[in-house]
Amino acid sequence: MQYISYFYEILNKKLNRLSNMKTIKILGTGCSKCKQTEANVKDAIAQLNIEANVIKVEDIQEIMAYNVLTTPVLVVDEQIKIKGRVAQTNEIIEILKQS
Amino acid sequence: MEIQEKAKEICPTTAQKWIAEGAILVDVREQEEVQTLAYDVPNLIHIPLSVFEERYQEIPKDKKVIMACKGGGRSLKATYYLLNHGYDKENVVNMQHGIIRWVQRGFPTKGDTSSILNTSGDCCSNTNCC
Repeated sequence: MQYISYFYEILNKKLNRLSNMKTIKILGTGCSKCKQTEANVKDAIAQLNIEANVIKVEDIQEIMAYNVLTTPVLVVDEQIKIKGRVAQTNEIIEILKQS
Repeated sequence: MEIQEKAKEICPTTAQKWIAEGAILVDVREQEEVQTLAYDVPNLIHIPLSVFEERYQEIPKDKKVIMACKGGGRSLKATYYLLNHGYDKENVVNMQHGIIRWVQRGFPTKGDTSSILNTSGDCCSNTNCC
């Protein structure tokens, strides 16, 4: 019985983490600035020690669904946070803490 | 997030036909690029991508419009931007391969074509592109 409650506790914690998990998108057609932004996002996630769903969007049709003319663009949970420049690691950390 | 409607694209040769029938060519390259080499067509509007959000309304909604740049990448973004702002997808098209292919086809320009022919087709080699 004790094992079962322990198992449920672990499972609940895991589910909570997954439900709070952020989705971070980097929109960009594959230039060096987009790649740097992606690297900075991964660095920020590692520093915060959180789990996040990181998606690189390179298809122009998908990018333009966000109606942005300049890339790279940082999108957190479908909200545009930074566009037209490389997001720095410390900026991303602050954004992730606040959102 | 809604699915973006796919933009129409045409080649420079088809663009020439559209222009002969009265279509407007919108060049979204930056000022310094246009100073070096410009499209030489009768109905031309120059709106750099860096100021496109502020000035896109200068483009008429009731006419055929061809969006163009150096390699076709920036103008494709601008094409989608117009579609997202109520322009008709039958009227607004992107010109694939930009002024690079335009020059290669021998179509009319003003300025120094060597600056284009000596570069790659990578749109992102320019500033203000990405």
